[in-house]
Amino acid sequence: MDLVLRATFMFAFIYALTRLIGRRELSSLEPFDLILLIVLGDAIQQGLTQDDYSVTGAVLVIGTLALLQVFTSFLSFKMPRLRPVLEGEPVIVVEDGKPIDKNLRRERLTVEEIAAQARLQQIESLDEIKWAVLETSGQLSFIKKGGGG
Amino acid sequence: MAQPPQLLTLQRHRELDGLYTTGIVARRIGYLLLGVVAILGLLDVFGQRPSTDTVDASAARLELYAPSHLRGGLLFMARFRITAHEDMKKATLVLAPGWAESMTINTIEPAPTDETSDNGRLALTLGPIDAGDSFLLFMQFQVNPTNVGRRSQDVELRDGGTHIATIQRTVTVFP
Repeated sequence: MDLVLRATFMFAFIYALTRLIGRRELSSLEPFDLILLIVLGDAIQQGLTQDDYSVTGAVLVIGTLALLQVFTSFLSFKMPRLRPVLEGEPVIVVEDGKPIDKNLRRERLTVEEIAAQARLQQIESLDEIKWAVLETSGQLSFIKKGGGG
Repeated sequence: MAQPPQLLTLQRHRELDGLYTTGIVARRIGYLLLGVVAILGLLDVFGQRPSTDTVDASAARLELYAPSHLRGGLLFMARFRITAHEDMKKATLVLAPGWAESMTINTIEPAPTDETSDNGRLALTLGPIDAGDSFLLFMQFQVNPTNVGRRSQDVELRDGGTHIATIQRTVTVFP
């Protein structure tokens, strides 16, 4: 029972934490973001299973986490009103080549970071961008001018 | 004005109508909570910094150095120092059950000459201590991961059947 309760608490805590720290940290692998992701994994494991090395323990923890993941996906699917809370919403960060400062500030993104992501999509300049959207996964999607819409 | 990508609206996803302030407030509350937890950790609210409890009686002085806040799985030490003001023939420490309940006692050094139960408490007989001498007892523990809550960890010092002094304390174990 203890393992199931621990897994449930840790799932809720990490869920809240990832929503709190913001989406950009989830998808980027800058040095500090990488440190956070690695340390999180290690710290969670120790808090979850502690000295339990059993297969039963591992099955309980993994099974509980998987069920909770399915449950939150189900909630998000069935209850659209909960979706912004559970997953967040896409945020438009560039419109017609112009960065939207207010939204960049909210997501702690810089124009340089957007330009770097744009270059990865073979986009030379922000002027070529019609829309740039920070998706709920933390990735930036770009729609180029003249690309329809 | 250009139309945003399908399923996105300017009001909701550019102006963040209803999301901007709420999101920032929710985040700041979250950051505040994380900060409070970290500060409480620095202030030793969640253990395991040891502290000293002392009780002085006419026959002897009993000093205990041990943490009062612990977490599941932690290794910790309790150090008992008995300083005799008068000759003690049969110094005995009587520990409340909270010292052993869901705790792994790794070692007791030096080993007591006798260990027994005293009405549900652990009685460790240490032997004679001459006036002016000190007896130092170390106990090493590990908190069992399922041990959670508050327990009494009172310590009574006796000389044979004679009560000399008691330290009253509780230990709080966080999950």
